[in-house]
Amino acid sequence: MIQLFHVSKYYDRRPALFDVTIRIEKGEFVLLMGPSGAGKTTLLKLLFCAERPDEGQILVQNRNVARIKSSQVPALRRTMGFVFQDFKLLPKKNVFENVALPLMVQGVSSFDTRRKVAEALKAVGIEHKKESRPAMLSAGEQQRVCIARAIVNGPLILLADEPTGNMDPDLAGEIMELFKTINARGTTVMIATHNRQVVEQVNRRVVTLVQGHLASDEGAGQ
Amino acid sequence: MRRLGYLVREALTNIRLNRTTTLIAVATTAFTLACFGVFLLLYLNLRGMASSLQDDIKVIVYLHDALTAQGVTALQHQIKAEPEVASLTYVSKEQALADFHAQFPSESHLLQGLGENPLPASFVVTLVPKFRSSDAVKRWSDRLRSVPGVAQVQYSREWIENLAVVVGYLELAAVAVGTVLSAASVTIIANTIRLTLYARRDEIEIMRLIGATGAFIKTPYLLEGSVLGALGAGLALVLLKGGFEFFKQQLGEPGRFLGIEAGFGFFPDHVSFLMVLAGLVLGFLGSFVSLFGFGRVRS
Repeated sequence: MIQLFHVSKYYDRRPALFDVTIRIEKGEFVLLMGPSGAGKTTLLKLLFCAERPDEGQILVQNRNVARIKSSQVPALRRTMGFVFQDFKLLPKKNVFENVALPLMVQGVSSFDTRRKVAEALKAVGIEHKKESRPAMLSAGEQQRVCIARAIVNGPLILLADEPTGNMDPDLAGEIMELFKTINARGTTVMIATHNRQVVEQVNRRVVTLVQGHLASDEGAGQ
Repeated sequence: MRRLGYLVREALTNIRLNRTTTLIAVATTAFTLACFGVFLLLYLNLRGMASSLQDDIKVIVYLHDALTAQGVTALQHQIKAEPEVASLTYVSKEQALADFHAQFPSESHLLQGLGENPLPASFVVTLVPKFRSSDAVKRWSDRLRSVPGVAQVQYSREWIENLAVVVGYLELAAVAVGTVLSAASVTIIANTIRLTLYARRDEIEIMRLIGATGAFIKTPYLLEGSVLGALGAGLALVLLKGGFEFFKQQLGEPGRFLGIEAGFGFFPDHVSFLMVLAGLVLGFLGSFVSLFGFGRVRS
């Protein structure tokens, strides 16, 4: 599903990622570990085509995203979901509208949009808040809306960057359980985190980055 | 279709949410376009006036006193046969004197001491429309001067030529002012849209990340710019119409300016429509310029 071959990325000649090679199979759940500045976010950005690698090749769903044309990036992104630490919800739109946004972009009909948004909101357990604006929600609820938006169009890959970064352990646990449920339905999940507690709770494959280098890859195939 | 509805709604929401900025942009665009409109109005009216004066152009061919009646008839036939001539009227010496007394009754005494009638006989010639340009009139008059029996040829050449020069300058000024003010309108709208873009850059980033194409992100802003430009042009037309009516009222009763003011007119409907269209295009260009500079919108 995702393959990186000797990938390097430099910022001001300093390597954010250096010679990283990873292979992630369809349906896997991978935790990307490492301290701040290890290159976790850079790796996710490369998969999402927000950045291009300086060296190496990246295959996502058998497409070489290192050489993908700019005009093809939107179509690739529609097959992925992304969850942000800071949620990135539109403050002037309510929960329903925020979750419906990826479907709107794809021109999905009103009927299908209502059905898919309802399913996504139910999956994350906040269907009763669909009329609320993000500002009226707690951090946990906002992250659930963000996850609902990421899964509403049934992505093959779900990427998350520190999704429990600002949460207490109980809330973080709930969110991680949600990711496990989504993964159980067949979605490949990759989560960047520096939270060791989360890693222990999830108990899945852990790829560790240190200063841009691949330090370890434990539990592959789980 | 659903996407189009969403994009139009987004554009209208942008306008509604940024009311003050929108109002300022529309008002500034309106004043800018109104300045250009004043030039255009002046140019179109003066051009119309010049054209109608050119239609009225008459050439007066004065004859030698020594010309016999047969000579006058022969010359009349000769001139009438010229391709430039549409019609010709003979004014005898007696008729010329009578006309002078009728037109200048207070100056009649000027001719009393001269004994015999000093005014020459003449032909008043109207030219066919395609020979009414100042160049064509000049060429024909010069040629006629060398015809035996013709004493002098006169027409209101200077006045018409001066008017043609003024209209020419005004046309140049309208083009120059129009170009500068159009650039100003584009800049104003570009800045308005740029402010909106910066205010909504997070939203644009999110749209980009969920797979929205550049066209999907940019369309509401292009629509917004076009609406601002069209509204500005509409307001400019209202201002111009108000100003024009006020000006006409100030001119007072008809006839005060030799009847010229009767020919003054506001823009015809198709020019008004073109002005709104121009506003729309300028607005679109303004948005396009700001989006072009807003690199983050591009995937």
